[in-house]
Formats: sequence, structure tokens, C-alpha cells
Amino acid sequence: MTAVTEAPPASTPETAPPRHTGRLAGLLGALAPRARLLGIVGGVVAILGSQLPWATFVLNQGAYPELATLPFGFTGFRLHLVILGLATIVVAAVRVPAANRIVRNLGIGIVAVAVINGLYITVEGGGLGAITAADGAVAFGSVVALIGGVLAILGSAAGGVEPRPELDWNLPLWVEWLLLVVIFVLMLLVVAAALTSGGQGGVVNPYSGAVFLSFLGAAGGAFAGLNASGLLGYVATLSERHRVFSVIVLLIVALGLPLTSAGTEYWMTVASNIGVYAATAIGLNIVVGLAGLLDLGYVAFLGIGAFVAANLSGATASAVGIHLPFVLVMVISAVVAGIFGAIVGSPTLRVRGDYLAIVTLAFGEIFVRSAQNNIGGLTGGANAIPNIPAVAVGDFRFNESITIGSVQLPSGVMYYVLIVLLVAGVMLVFGNLKNSRLGRAWIAIREDEDAASAMGIRTGPIKILAFLLGATLAGLAGAFFAHKTGVVAYDSFRFLESVTLLSAVILGGMGTIPGAVLGASILFVLPEKLREFSDYRLLIFGLALVLIMRFRPQGIVADKHRRAELAEEPEDAAKEAPGPLPTRVEP
Amino acid sequence: MLSTFLSQIANGLVLGSLIALIALGYTMVYGIITLINFAHGEIFMVGAYGGLATLTYLMPTFIAQRWYFALPVVLVGGALISVLVAVAMERFAYRPLRNAPRLAPLITALGVSVALQEAVRVFYPGATAAIPFPNLFIEGTWIIPIGDGVPIRYTGILLIVVSLVLAFGLERFIERTRMGRAMRATSQDRDVARLMGVDPDRIIVLTFAIGGALAGVAGVLYGSYLNNINIDMGFQNGIFAFTAAVLGGIGNIRGAVIGGLVIGLVKALGGQYLPGGTAYDYVWIFVVLIIVLVFRPQGFFGETERVRA
Repeated sequence: MTAVTEAPPASTPETAPPRHTGRLAGLLGALAPRARLLGIVGGVVAILGSQLPWATFVLNQGAYPELATLPFGFTGFRLHLVILGLATIVVAAVRVPAANRIVRNLGIGIVAVAVINGLYITVEGGGLGAITAADGAVAFGSVVALIGGVLAILGSAAGGVEPRPELDWNLPLWVEWLLLVVIFVLMLLVVAAALTSGGQGGVVNPYSGAVFLSFLGAAGGAFAGLNASGLLGYVATLSERHRVFSVIVLLIVALGLPLTSAGTEYWMTVASNIGVYAATAIGLNIVVGLAGLLDLGYVAFLGIGAFVAANLSGATASAVGIHLPFVLVMVISAVVAGIFGAIVGSPTLRVRGDYLAIVTLAFGEIFVRSAQNNIGGLTGGANAIPNIPAVAVGDFRFNESITIGSVQLPSGVMYYVLIVLLVAGVMLVFGNLKNSRLGRAWIAIREDEDAASAMGIRTGPIKILAFLLGATLAGLAGAFFAHKTGVVAYDSFRFLESVTLLSAVILGGMGTIPGAVLGASILFVLPEKLREFSDYRLLIFGLALVLIMRFRPQGIVADKHRRAELAEEPEDAAKEAPGPLPTRVEP
Repeated sequence: MLSTFLSQIANGLVLGSLIALIALGYTMVYGIITLINFAHGEIFMVGAYGGLATLTYLMPTFIAQRWYFALPVVLVGGALISVLVAVAMERFAYRPLRNAPRLAPLITALGVSVALQEAVRVFYPGATAAIPFPNLFIEGTWIIPIGDGVPIRYTGILLIVVSLVLAFGLERFIERTRMGRAMRATSQDRDVARLMGVDPDRIIVLTFAIGGALAGVAGVLYGSYLNNINIDMGFQNGIFAFTAAVLGGIGNIRGAVIGGLVIGLVKALGGQYLPGGTAYDYVWIFVVLIIVLVFRPQGFFGETERVRA
């Protein structure tokens, strides 16, 4: 312990200055002896800021944030600030390993909360007067909190940001298991809190977007702080060590979401939709992430699955008009989608790279056009196929609510359970495929097709197999989607949806399971929460795609192979050697 | 019967020469940096809106009412906006990725495409729906005296003439000028071109600028011919143009023009004679695209098959 605590101040003169240029380097050098103090002061100032008034008047659409015009409060973002501030003080004072790194990340969280809320009040209140002084009222809360955050960051920069420590404690088995359970339950609670923070959004709840963003800022800061301390890395190692155990616990915990604050019909629907896209994204991940074949028309397979299911569900509008049991419908949807996948994939025998992407795009467009024109009376055209009956087991319909004892579960909960199981199954398939002979063949093809072929891999059938399997998974998700939403329209399967799915895979990290799920969650939760900005949704989305490709092409959760492939040339990496981010977040 | 056929041919040629203009941009950019510039269709769309903005906001009514003043000014306005956007796109989105793995620029292009479309929708007044675009050329229709008469609008004739002239000019530029030679050199081997004193960055910017200018002109003419523009026009016509470029052999100027005309004819005649009618005319184009890519990816005029991972 002591060795670690002494190291940073000693190394300060070498590490801090070269990372900054000009005046800032001098300033940081001068501040270096006071680094710890700065961190503590930053935390104190942040707490102080949280307890000052934040707005000089009540906003038009009601008090924002809760009682913002009054001092003192331990609700909402103020509570987050207090927690972040206290954590900053403790970490800076006690000098845990990598303290400066943690303080920096916490400071960023504080700044994020201060800026998001301050900015929102400024914009909605019509000027800087709203967060400073106007009409005899003063409200410097956001400014003070911002200063606190900046002080903390400055202090940590002056002290020199350490590399992230790698923790590896060996504890008794039962302690490790318990630890994993506790951590996963905490994760569930955070997810539920994130989903429900700010409420449903829309007209009823005008501030939901800002509250949600503020929560994200605070949670992000706390998360980054934990990551900096090496604890997250430790959890990752731990769950890797007890793989089967943590998968089972994770599944059970995920099924527990209806019991948390997110257990309402609305959030069950949102979560089910996320599940559909997550399952589809994992399927796409086989094609794009593992086999490296860019598919720009992938959402068509979701559509094919959905339309097949709609036609076999007994919906009155369907041309086929037979009603099969749900399980059978799912299988048929998956098979049909898989057949189409093989057809779409067959040009891979002759076409590579960009050209293949265009061929898949053409197939996707043909599907949308045909569906739009109600081809063979199977898709309903512009009228869609409405009134698809809910999945039923005996007398129980899946869209009803359940009461077990005194616990009332929201309606739609069975769909949620179903999709969680489906996603889990899809993950299992993906995970096993990835580490199988087939998966290795895909990765080999992705890295270098000619070399793979020279190594004796029969590239043709294996590439088609990637399309086939990916499409099958999408078809499964499609069958679920048709029953859950009750309506299937060609409009849900346009090119833009393919791009969204692709971005989910890329954003999360190509070739990884958590990546696809994370990406799908982000891309489908954010629009749900940020209705105020819905006009700019796609604009931001497009720009984000460009920025991700520029700055973090490996995505949030980087795959080992993928990272090696996307890395800059070694010379560049060497130049940036003292940089942050030695990412080691492997699932 | 014959006149229906011939008037569909006329429609196809008009649409085809429009697509050819856009395809030139695709084919040039691909020829130089082997990038499918997905956002090129949006450059065409931006050009149409830029031209409309020039007409609506910058032009005195005196000029706007006389087509022989208005048309050149609007064409230049639209082309300028397109060039600006195309060059900015190259500089900020594609250049940093020049040595990145192959998927990265393609995905970036998708992002740029979505962003440009949305930027116009959000920031151009009234762009949430289709916007009317005035005819900038002589009103009226010329009836070609064959059979029962084949009608073609004067604006359509303008479109065909402008496209052919620009394509011809472009080919001369590439074949005959110093700059053109530098472009050909860069497309063959960027490093060797650099050794010979060519600045590839400048040439690439020039390529994007020329492609952008052609797309901008195409955008204005499209609006003028169809009399309304919307934000989806870029994506659709962009895909058609890409198909045309592949059809003619990507990287080949003459091929792009012929490919464009073929695509125009397929759409017009397919909509008339193939099962499903106009509702499926898009589908035929995509079918052609797939067939060409699978069976003759080098196109009609491509010399060698480009096989790349």
C-alpha cells in the first residue's frame, strides 16, 4: 500500500508537464505540491454548490430541478453531487492507489452534472441570469459546483494521473460468489434507476430528458471512478473466473427487473423492444463482427421473421389465415429468415468488401419495396398487418398482468421474461460459436480471406453460414417482435433501421456480446428518454457514427482481435505511450 | 404503342442523364481513393436545396423572373454549396481515415449521409416535407414528330444536353490537362504520384470538388425538372447513380454516363412493361445492381476485376 501511495508525487515532475503544453504545464507544475488539497477542496466546493440555490426563478413548466430556487436539498442531482463530492474528498484524503485518476473521473462527473443542469436552466430560463443573479435572487449553485469539479480535475492533473492498477485478489470461493451476486444486483438497481430517472418523457414530464442526462453524467462519473480504481477490472476478472456462475446469476438478475422501480408496463415494453434489437444486433454481430462481412440490409431478416409470424398468427388481415402455436411460429420464422439469409449471402461467393455491402443493401431495398407494395398479399403494404393476437398459453395471454401472492407484476412482464430468455439463448449461441472451430474460421476470414483459404478453410460455405445463422437469429427476434407489438408494417424495416442496428454493433464493439447488447440499449433507450431532442435525434446519430469511427472504432467494449486489427500503426501508438485508456474491459 | 415506348425511352434518357451526372462523382472518388462515397447522393440533395436557397433568399425578383439570368446563377449557387459540403466532408470525415481498415470509411460515409439529410431537414425552413421547386427553363413540351408524337419537356432536353456536355468536358479535363494527368497518376499509385511531385491531398480535394459541383448541378436540374425536392432524393438517386457507376465499370467516366442512361431506361421501361408496374421500378434497378455485381463486377468497360478484401 505504502509503495503505491508514495509513487505518484515523486513521478509528478516527469509525468505532468509533457502531457500539457505552454502555460498550463507551468500552472500544473506549480500546483503539484498542493494536488491532494486541491482534490479535497474541489469535493467540498462541489458539495457546497449542491446546497446553494440553482435557479433564480421557477421555470415555466414547473419547478426544475426539484426546489431549485431554494438552498439545501438531498434529492435528485443534488444527492448525486453530494455523493460524488464526498467520494472525491475521501479518495483525495485517504490516497488509495490511482487516487488522482479516480479524482479526475469523479471531477468529470461533477462537471457533467453541473453543466447539464446549469445549461438546461439557462436555456429554458432564457439567459445566464437564471443561474447567476436576477430579480433580487441569487443562484450560483451550478457555477460553484462547476468550479468544484474543475478544481478536482486540476488537482488530479497536477498530481499526475497514474496508470490504472490491476487488482487480483484471491478470496475464498464463497466470498467471490457472494461478491458477484451483490455486484450484479447493484447493477440491476442502477439500470432500473437509469431507466426510470426523469420518468417517461413527453408532454407530461417536460424535464425528463435533462434529469436523465444529469443522472447519466453522475453515473458515468461514478462508473469511471470505479473503473479507474481497478475495481471494475477486478469484477471482470472475477466473472471470467466463474463464468458459468456469473452467467446464471446475471440471467436471474435480469429477470428481476420487473420487481424494481422499472416494473411498469411502459418500461417492460421499452425493455422488450431493446431485447428485440439486442437479439438482432447479436445476429448481425456474427455477420459483421465475426465474419467481417458488412451487411447493410440486415433488418430485412427481422422483417421477414416478423411478417412470417404475422401471417401464421391468425391475424385477420393476414392472407394465409392459419393459426399455429407460438413456438412453431418462431421456428418457422427463423427457418424462413435463415433461408433468405443464405440467398442474400450467396453472392459472397463472388463479391467481396464494399461491393458485398452494396449487394446486401440492394436486397434490403428490394425487401422494403416489395413489402411496401404488399407482395403476394403477405405484408399488408401501407395498411400493415394489424391485430396480431398476443401469445397465449392456455387461457393466459402474455400481455396481461400477473399477480403472485401480494406482488402485482405489470402487464407485458411475460414478454419481458420471454425476450430475456431469447436474448440469453442468442448470447449462448453466439458465445459458443465464437469460440468454436466455425467461429475461428470466421475470424480468420475477417482478418485475411486469402490466407484463411490457404489454410484450408472452405471460405464460401462458411461465409454463407454466417449469413444464414445471423438471419436465423433475426428471424427469431422478428417472430417475437410481431407478437409483442401486435402490428407489423414495412416501415419498421427501412434502410435507416439497418444502419441503426449496425451502429449498435459498432458502438458497442464489434465481435463482442456485451457490446451488441450495450449498443442496442443505448441506441434505443436514448431516443426514448430524450424526446425533447427527437428532432435532432438522427442528426446527432449520424454525427456520432462519424465521430466513433474517427476516435474509437473498436467501440465501447473492445474485442481483443478487433482491437489489434483496428489499432493505429505501432509508431503512433508508441508516441502516445503515456496516454490513458489501456482498455482491458473484456467480457 | 410505339409512342408509349418512345416516350418511356425519352423519360428514361432524361432520368438516365441525371443519374449519369451523379454517377460521375461516385466513379471519380472511387477511382482515386477506392471509397464508396455513400454520402455523394446527399451532396446532390444539398445542391438542390442550395440552389433553391439561392433562388429564394439571394436573388432579386427582377433576375429570378428571367430564366436566362436565374438558371446560371442558381446552378452556380447549388454547385457552390455542394462543393463546399463535399470538400468539408473529405477534410473532416474521410481524410483522417485514409489508412483505416476498409469498413471504417464506409460506415463513416453512412453517418455523413444520415447527418446531412437530417441537417437539411432540421435547418432548412419547411424541409420536413417536399418543397416546390420552380422550373428554371423554358416552360412547355416539345412533341417529337414520330408516330403519334413523343412529348419531352424542354427542361428534360436541357438536362440531357447539360449532362452530356459536362461529362464530355470532364473527360477532356482528365485526358488532356496537367491536373487531369495528376488525377490519373494519383488513382494509379498515390505514393509514386507523390514522388513525381503531385500532391495527392490536393488532387483528392479537387476530385471531391468536381464530383460535388456535378452533383450540385444535377440537384438543381432535378428540382427544375420534377418541380419539387425532398430530403430523400439524395439516397434514392445516389443508389441509382452508384449502380450506374458499377454498371459502366467503376472509375470509368464514359462507363458512368452509359451506365446512367441504362439505369434510366431500365427504370422507365421496367415501370411500363414489367410485372408490378411503377411500384416495382426501383426493384428492377436493384436486381440489375445485384446481377452486375455478382456476374460482372468490373462492369461493361472495366478493364480488370478489382478484388479486394
